[in-house]
Amino acid sequence: MNDTNDPMAEIRASFFIECEELLEALQDGLQQMDDGSDDPETINIVFRAVHSIKGGAGAFGLEDLVRFAHRYETVLDEVRSGKLTADAEAMKVFFQAADHLSDLVRMCRDGQDIDPNGGDNLIAALNAFLGDTEEEEVTAEDFQPLGVMTLDLPDLDAPATPPEYEILFKPGQELFTTGNEPQTLLRNLAALGTAQVRCDRGDLPDLSSLAPETPYFSWNITLQAEVMEDEIREVFEFVDGLCELTITRLDDDTESPSALPDLPAVAEEPEPEPTPAAASVELAPEPAPPKPVAKPESSSDAAPPAKAAGPKSVVRVDLERIERLVNLVGELVINQAMLAQSLDQAGLSPHSDAMNGLEEFQRLTRDIQDSVMMIRAQPVKSLFQRMSRIVREASAAVKKDVRLITEGEATEVDKTVIERLADPLTHMIRNAVDHGLESTADRKEAGKETTGHVRLSAAHRSGRVIIEVSDDGGGINRDKVLGIAKSKGLVPQDASLTDGEIDNLLFLPGFSTASQVSDLSGRGVGMDVVKTSIQQLGGRIAITSERGKGTTFSISLPLTLAVLDGMVVNVAGETLVLPLNVVEETLSLGPEDVQMLRPGHNVVRVRGGFVPLYDLGIMLGYRGARDTLAGAIVLLISLEDGTRAALVIDGIQDQRQVVIKGLDDSFYRAPGIAAATILGDGQIALILDPADIIAAAGPMRHAELARPERKAVNE
Amino acid sequence: MALRDQIRIMVVDDMSTSRGLITQALDAFGVRNVASTADGPSALKALESTPVHLVISDYNMPGMDGLQLLHRLRSGAKTKGVGFILITGKADKAIIDQGRKFGMNNFLKKPFEPKDLQACIEAVVGRL
Repeated sequence: MNDTNDPMAEIRASFFIECEELLEALQDGLQQMDDGSDDPETINIVFRAVHSIKGGAGAFGLEDLVRFAHRYETVLDEVRSGKLTADAEAMKVFFQAADHLSDLVRMCRDGQDIDPNGGDNLIAALNAFLGDTEEEEVTAEDFQPLGVMTLDLPDLDAPATPPEYEILFKPGQELFTTGNEPQTLLRNLAALGTAQVRCDRGDLPDLSSLAPETPYFSWNITLQAEVMEDEIREVFEFVDGLCELTITRLDDDTESPSALPDLPAVAEEPEPEPTPAAASVELAPEPAPPKPVAKPESSSDAAPPAKAAGPKSVVRVDLERIERLVNLVGELVINQAMLAQSLDQAGLSPHSDAMNGLEEFQRLTRDIQDSVMMIRAQPVKSLFQRMSRIVREASAAVKKDVRLITEGEATEVDKTVIERLADPLTHMIRNAVDHGLESTADRKEAGKETTGHVRLSAAHRSGRVIIEVSDDGGGINRDKVLGIAKSKGLVPQDASLTDGEIDNLLFLPGFSTASQVSDLSGRGVGMDVVKTSIQQLGGRIAITSERGKGTTFSISLPLTLAVLDGMVVNVAGETLVLPLNVVEETLSLGPEDVQMLRPGHNVVRVRGGFVPLYDLGIMLGYRGARDTLAGAIVLLISLEDGTRAALVIDGIQDQRQVVIKGLDDSFYRAPGIAAATILGDGQIALILDPADIIAAAGPMRHAELARPERKAVNE
Repeated sequence: MALRDQIRIMVVDDMSTSRGLITQALDAFGVRNVASTADGPSALKALESTPVHLVISDYNMPGMDGLQLLHRLRSGAKTKGVGFILITGKADKAIIDQGRKFGMNNFLKKPFEPKDLQACIEAVVGRL
């Protein structure tokens, strides 16, 4: 067999893909059951998922998988038949079994060795739900196969005659008063196939007694069409109840002439094995003349009967092809920008055909781009499902009772982002269970519900994706955190930090608050690694915590890693790009607008409030301070966490879409610089991350100015 | 002409892996006229226009299960004589008895080897 095109290998590969879908359906179903759904279809879905995995696994001889799936399925079947109630205890085992099943599937897929006794504990737990009722199975020997008596099919090449229907249609009075038109209905009907329409005018009275709004006609239609009765009824859907409608299938009992002779029954043999007697049966190749077809065009010529079924059809595409498309669209965007620039420089009138065409081109480019990005977008659901398993395992390891609440599972995020979020999110979830939540005893003492909650949510907000992990634990013990930071020399002994700054110490490299490093959250890997992973995705992470109430980590990510709506600005002769979605407004500073808080630290007055002012030229090291800030242009930046800041720039060039080109790892990561792009004139410009710039301005300073508006109002 | 050149078979299974496996096995027997659908209603619709000699259907499917499909086939004028083989993960007595009542021609328990499938089909239609 050809190795590169082994059909079995292909089917095997598609089996594992299908398994992933089934495992997702299984998780989903279990979650619904756990949430108290008593819809019988839910347990059916759960059962069927396990059953289908078992079926496929059997075909590929994956014994360990079959053995476990069989046990699991048997117990689920008990639930399905109502013999077993899926109480909390049972659900716990079901979830664990689903996790184990998913491990087995992946181990089989990757060809890893499976410990044959690995699932023994779970199998024992599953068995405990089963009574001693053994399933009564029928063996092949108990069943007498029935030979097919007739194989009377029309010749393969002969087009099948479409079914024939007689339709009687008599409009009622209301059909007309509701504005329906029989002619339209008849036309729609005729569009289904070949229709012969006869109008019955028998009821038409003399002209003298004719009531103009009363329907007198009825129609008799003979329709020959490749449709089911339901499809005919659909034509009359909107006049349902407003007319008399009778549909009769005319050819229901007309047998097609036989092209194949009857096969002799072979069922007399008790053994289902083929015998020479059966083997000698040959089909007579005598073809019968095909039945004449009324209208050949209406017949379905050689249309394959197989059709993708299901609510929506799905195509699986190699990710590489999508990547290529994304890259090409990126080039298209750059190309379009360059074209726009050269047309502009050519001095064409904005009303010229070329400029109008360009506008259309821009719109199309954007549409294509959005559509391509949508291909890459996936709901975060699969990611969240993985996290529910992390919670189950982590809570079992530290013996805490934890419930995961997920929100916004349908939120769509770029596929790459989802993949690269798995590790940081896993770490954060483990952290929340391990460090965030108190022990059961401590919770009881604090008068809290013993079950701890971890909430995982996703949402789209101001053009970004916000993912939050929060717990209802004890909150950050700031004295302890500060103490550790001081003892490790991470902050000076005499440092006095705000709450927010202490919280942010958690992101410092090598920080670990657990007095004993548990084997759960791991060693060495801390929140600093999480922060770096998030930053590499163009995201930011923030922390808020309230003593006794809990802690929330908030991750903000760009919707796409490929393009950005940007504002192109000049600073000290350099061209820079800022994400447009953070720019709230642009201002030109007047002499009265700026107030100095202390030397080098200014705030700007914006409609009665004060916003910290940063000079991009100084911060990026392009130039020294301006002689005067009066007349300078500032961008008012508003971040997702509500922070506002004003950035001093030298000029605004343009608003446009830019293609994000990642900076190679070989570049030193400069704070505030997120990526680069190529502009329409071929020039390279750096893309800034405003939040990172503001953070880089130093925690002390940022904290000092965090809410100057309030301070100003109070004074 | 051998039967395998003429026979037309429809495979009904909600799992594409199973459809692929059966189609693949049939192909190895030399049976080329094989259509497949993912559910009973699509199978019924397809059979309206393109009849087959034999339907090989999974039992456990969402919506319409294999036995419900069998029942619908047996009550259709055009499809009542079609051969029907039920593929089932569990040869439950209740399922098989019901199948027998509806006129199921044969059944096959999963997992099966291609030769089991062949024997099962040949017990219904004769040597392929």
